[in-house]
Amino acid sequence: MRLTTPTTVTVKAVGREKLELPKHLFILAILAIELLPFYMMLQISFKNNVMFNANPWLPILPGATLVENFRFAYHLILPYAANTIFVSVTAATANLFFAILAAYFFARYKMPFSNVLWSAFLTLMLIPSVTNIVPLFTLLKKLNLLNSLWGLIAVAVASGQVFNIFVLRNFIEDLPRDLFEAAEMDGAGHWKQIIHIVIPLSGPIIGTLFILSFLGCWNDFLMPLIILRDPQLFTLGVGLIYLDGDYAKDWGHIMAAFFMASLPLLIMFLFTMKLFIRGLSAGALKG
Amino acid sequence: MAAFIPTKKALHEWRLYLFVIPSLVLIAVFAYFPAISAVYHSFFDWQGGNYKEFIGGDNFIQSWTDEVLWQSFGTVFILIIANLFKMIPSIAVAVVIHRLVSDRWQYWYRVLVVVPMIVPELVRLFIWKFFYDPTFGLLNKILDWIELKPILVSLDTYVLHWNVFREGFPVPWLSEPHLIVPSLIFWGFPWLGAVGVLIFLAGLESIGREVYETAELDGANGFQKFLYIEFPLILTQIRLMLILMVIGTVQGYGLQLLLLGQDGGAGGAGMVPGLWMFNRAFSAGQFGYACAIGMILFVFILVLTLINNKYIRIQR
Repeated sequence: MRLTTPTTVTVKAVGREKLELPKHLFILAILAIELLPFYMMLQISFKNNVMFNANPWLPILPGATLVENFRFAYHLILPYAANTIFVSVTAATANLFFAILAAYFFARYKMPFSNVLWSAFLTLMLIPSVTNIVPLFTLLKKLNLLNSLWGLIAVAVASGQVFNIFVLRNFIEDLPRDLFEAAEMDGAGHWKQIIHIVIPLSGPIIGTLFILSFLGCWNDFLMPLIILRDPQLFTLGVGLIYLDGDYAKDWGHIMAAFFMASLPLLIMFLFTMKLFIRGLSAGALKG
Repeated sequence: MAAFIPTKKALHEWRLYLFVIPSLVLIAVFAYFPAISAVYHSFFDWQGGNYKEFIGGDNFIQSWTDEVLWQSFGTVFILIIANLFKMIPSIAVAVVIHRLVSDRWQYWYRVLVVVPMIVPELVRLFIWKFFYDPTFGLLNKILDWIELKPILVSLDTYVLHWNVFREGFPVPWLSEPHLIVPSLIFWGFPWLGAVGVLIFLAGLESIGREVYETAELDGANGFQKFLYIEFPLILTQIRLMLILMVIGTVQGYGLQLLLLGQDGGAGGAGMVPGLWMFNRAFSAGQFGYACAIGMILFVFILVLTLINNKYIRIQR
């Protein structure tokens, strides 16, 4: 928003245009290097090793190699992607469901022991996940959750609770109290209040938290690496690690597989771009 | 504010507790139990099975003389210093995006900055690993292309004496002990962090256009504007990112595990404390000792967090 009068606009605009160009060049140069890996991924997925060696930099016209590479990638990635989508969607949904309930409890009422319970959550922020990983492994073994997608989901849900409850509690506390009181007058119970007031009014923040939880699950590779053993249970994380471990590497195959593994998130991003960017910036302010 | 409910009424409203119980059970089982178990087992000789033997502080005494652990803390320290400088590109890009006049461009640059976050971290990591590949990797191809190789070779021959840059041989980025830490530092160039840029931009948003115009009237140049207008305003965000970065670096080991393997690469040059813990537990089967390393890391991170809370207040 510029508060300039019409007469000065033209003069300033010309002066500004000149100043704008170096800024654009600076940003574009950094972005170009930053995005170079993805350009390389895309163009190498069109080639096989021989073609890549002959012409490492420039893209080529799609041909039989492209079809071959993507056929390989499709068959390899599809089962992994299915597992990952199952884990990420289930974990993110459960995560938010439990977090909304708990946040409602903390935000709306001050019950006996509320403070004790709240500090039980806050203390958890001080415990880094790195110290837990070894005993967590043996715990999952005892609970028979090793080599199971449910083990992965349980850990993801538990580790997301603190942050989500923290953000949601702040948000629900800021909702107008009259709404809740009016609902109570009409005889609405806690469930009804959550479904008809909390969820509709905190839609964007729930959406953002859902995306963040989903993304966290999708990107995780340490827990799947520790928990999963059977190839048919592999999520994308472990699957790609094993693909990278192959001795003879066909880079075209591998890059096509990488591209397939990125595709679901890219599609999701296209539809949630605004929410995503606003959510990340707002989440940043809230800390 | 939350409605206060006295004890008497609480008995009647006991159902409310049901709302918080699922979360509580989850964190009790999957966060508190492992944490307490880690403290407990750090005093045991434990292989991960049912058999364990109480050995008092032996694990901690062992860690004191564990050269790999000491070295790994040294490596983490170097990485933290490097990461400090790696924050600069994010700050610079955020400032330049903010200085653009057009809101539309500002928005689209934000989108482009976020794109790398959308590609799975692992994919990015493996593409970079591919860049470092001695025969196929781009890094060596670029070095040959811009003819930087001879300079590196003579630098090595006369100054460094590492014997890693040789004429006619591809540079083995991830398999030479001398090159592992530099490769880890260079990893991800130009080090643009999507979250960082967005957080800095959110901080910069409070600066109005007229502030810049006043500064321009006073004859401030680009760098002075940064120093006196922008930097003070995003100081809170920089501190926030700083502490997140330090804690993340101290406890992170995913990058090292995937690029270099469980042993931290050739000569263990890329070993970090988290990876050493992972290695002790899952490769050597010393679960008790791994728990002790975890405790040391925990105390380390706790101290950092407390320093942060005490001296670096984050204003909301």
